Amino acid sequence: MTVTPKPTGGVGMNPVANALSIVLLIAIIGAAWILFGGYTLVFKALIAVILGGALVGFGVHFVPVGGAPAAMGQSPGIATGVAMLAAGAGLAGLFGGAFAAHAKLGLVTSVVAGGIGGALMMAITCLFVTLIYTYGMGIPSASGKVKVDPITGDTQAEYKSQGTEGHGLPFSSFAGGVIGGFLGGLGGTLIYYALLKVYEAKLPALLSASASAVVPVAVSLAGIFAIGMFLVNAVLAAYNITGTTEGFHDPKFARFPRAIIATLAASAVCGIVAILVAAL
Amino acid sequence: MVENIVIGIGITAFAGALASVAGAAEDVESDIGSQGDPNSQVQLAPQMGYVHRIFNKAISGEPPAWGLWVALGAGLAAAFLQVNVNPILALALGCVIATLVQGVYATTAYLGRMASLAKFGQPVYIDILKSMTTVTMAHAFIAIFTSVTMCYLMNAALGHPFPLALLGLIWGIALGAAGSATGNPIYGKERQYQSQKFGAGVPVAASGTIVRYAEAGERNSLDNGWFAAKLGGPWSGICFGLIVFLELWRTVLFEPFWAGWGAIFVGLILILIFTFIDRYAEVWARETFGPYAKPEGAAK
Amino acid sequence: MTVKVEKIEGGTPHNTIMWAGLLATLVCIYLGAGLNTMFNAFTFSFFGGLAAVAAIIWGSDTIKTLCSYGIGTGVPSVGMISLGSGVIAMLIATRFSWYLAPIVLVIVAVIIGAIIGYMANDVIMMKIPVMRSSMTEVAVIGGLMLMGFAQMATSSYSLVHLVSTQTSLLGLPVAGYGGSFIGASIITVAFILGAIAVQHPFNATLGPSWQQDRMLMLAAECGFLSIIPVAFMSIAYLSVPAVIVSIVVSVAGWFYTYYQYLCLSKRDAAAWLDAKPIREPEGH
Repeated sequence: MTVTPKPTGGVGMNPVANALSIVLLIAIIGAAWILFGGYTLVFKALIAVILGGALVGFGVHFVPVGGAPAAMGQSPGIATGVAMLAAGAGLAGLFGGAFAAHAKLGLVTSVVAGGIGGALMMAITCLFVTLIYTYGMGIPSASGKVKVDPITGDTQAEYKSQGTEGHGLPFSSFAGGVIGGFLGGLGGTLIYYALLKVYEAKLPALLSASASAVVPVAVSLAGIFAIGMFLVNAVLAAYNITGTTEGFHDPKFARFPRAIIATLAASAVCGIVAILVAAL
Repeated sequence: MVENIVIGIGITAFAGALASVAGAAEDVESDIGSQGDPNSQVQLAPQMGYVHRIFNKAISGEPPAWGLWVALGAGLAAAFLQVNVNPILALALGCVIATLVQGVYATTAYLGRMASLAKFGQPVYIDILKSMTTVTMAHAFIAIFTSVTMCYLMNAALGHPFPLALLGLIWGIALGAAGSATGNPIYGKERQYQSQKFGAGVPVAASGTIVRYAEAGERNSLDNGWFAAKLGGPWSGICFGLIVFLELWRTVLFEPFWAGWGAIFVGLILILIFTFIDRYAEVWARETFGPYAKPEGAAK
Repeated sequence: MTVKVEKIEGGTPHNTIMWAGLLATLVCIYLGAGLNTMFNAFTFSFFGGLAAVAAIIWGSDTIKTLCSYGIGTGVPSVGMISLGSGVIAMLIATRFSWYLAPIVLVIVAVIIGAIIGYMANDVIMMKIPVMRSSMTEVAVIGGLMLMGFAQMATSSYSLVHLVSTQTSLLGLPVAGYGGSFIGASIITVAFILGAIAVQHPFNATLGPSWQQDRMLMLAAECGFLSIIPVAFMSIAYLSVPAVIVSIVVSVAGWFYTYYQYLCLSKRDAAAWLDAKPIREPEGH
């Protein structure tokens, strides 16, 4: 029996599944409200983790990834896997955000610093992809999904070489990449910051140690959880895109509501367990 | 954070240089081993009837694989540092073990994929295994060692809160992502499909028809390696080097201003500069190369 | 153009491998923890590594079952989601005593994995028959792998033990919290070791002439290869005799499985050529 890999992913939404997911999300938030005694630090951290996960899932939809055909100049986008490229950008952003958090700069500054770090990495990567295509391979950028680039108004069809679906990084894909990197870095740093605050507050009592001594443990725990949750949400979003997308101008982008609901619920489950590690 | 801003900038520059070497070595290693998205063509070619002598190193994509090698090198180094081994020795030992793991993974990937293509008559070439593996391991060691040293500097000298192993994973994944994004098109389109016309993408109908006979004799992955080292490698190096250097530079130099917002604004300005350069290159390509067909034409 | 993956009937059924893998993993973890406690030693920590090997063998077959349907993205993403969900379950299980922790891990991982599987299959609408069960399985596998690695590196999987180091080597005290398994983030290395090791066997042997026994042997080889660095890293946490036992067990296991894998590849290959030219197939 031969089963050829089909690009799966049905179109449309499953209302029952969506409703169940929202119910699950509300149930977990409600349980957390009761468990953690109202609007406390721990509860706020859970909300932050849920939001961060959804931001990651949403941001992955912006990143232009062409997969294997892009490596041959057959389709536009970056020639890497979408989940791992988003992870690379998000983690580079997390690096910068963690630096800012360590310098005690507060939630907003750390999170935005993380976002800018992710956006910067994607900007440099996308720039070099364009430079390679232009100066190294002599191929202009062309999109295969739209007739006219939505941001610059450049026509695309005549710059597409024969037999291909487009190549390179049209400007909208570049912009999409930067936005995706920003949202990924933002979400990842938000998860990290929230968990860090919970662990810094709860671990000293748990381990009978001073607050300053457990900082390395809190940082490391929050870091590995942030990476783990980032990857789960990025892979779920990658399943939604079925592997390749040109960015926000791709018709596949309209699928993002499903991913938002899925990542919200998945982040809620993972988040409450992550918080319970210290708060149990 | 760093007390002395001059030392901070010096370490930043050093880290950027290490990152550049790492990026270049990463790209050449992944082209000698044929990893990542271009490898799908190496996999496809025998199924289209084109038996080849290319090393088919199918170890996941580049970002997770490089996340593993660098995190492994960093984690081992951290463990050795814990038992008070000299730092340089600890870093080198950790990276040697990580490289050995990489080499073993490479051989199992080649054997597995080639044996599973037996139905199409693709043999397993043992001499390819024997000659390519050590070369790819050598490049991997360069990339792993420079990356782990860079992470060590970030942790020990610049005071980043993340432990060495976590930094290793983060920068390993970023290295794989940046290196594969920049280097894969050159390897995939220019080298594997050298017979296709320059200046256009590969048509879908030509998939699988990779070049198998080289300038002299039959092509193997070393031929792909030196080609990648001409352009793909250095540009991947500059890409990753810029990523690391600018990320550190804007933080070390500008974070003290406006409670951290100085670094954010500098980051924004840098993003805008790169956006302008990208737009310039895109417009230059459109104007210099011209369209493939008339704008109203239906030549697709 | 993608690679055609043929679902070959025959070979050991997946359910058999699943139950055998789960049983073997749990037995090894309990053996390691129980023997260490009974003899108040570190030398039986290598059982944690063997547990991880069993989990990797099980996991490779799960990934093969899932990816045979064509998930649209690559195989490595399943490895990432496995460890991503597994690490959360493993860390909550560390809060419990040594005889309860593996059971708690399995229960929590089943819940997390089932929810993620439901999200992937029904909300994201992948609509793959085995998606929900596979996601549940890989979450359990990821968690058990990490528990095995933690046990092999530090001889225990309780949170208090994983975040602090009490050993001193050669009379020099080792760092309190910063140098521990979690403090020094060795757990990160275990995370990515597991993520690559569990998806590599199927990824490396996929193709039209895929054979299950070759894939499972490669899974065992990947498992032993992964526990060699863990044995080296345990030098920071265990006594020297325990480290030597771990290294010997992992290297010996790796040698045997790698040799077997070479033999199986030779058996399956179209030809095993040394320095011969390209052999064009008929009609080309």
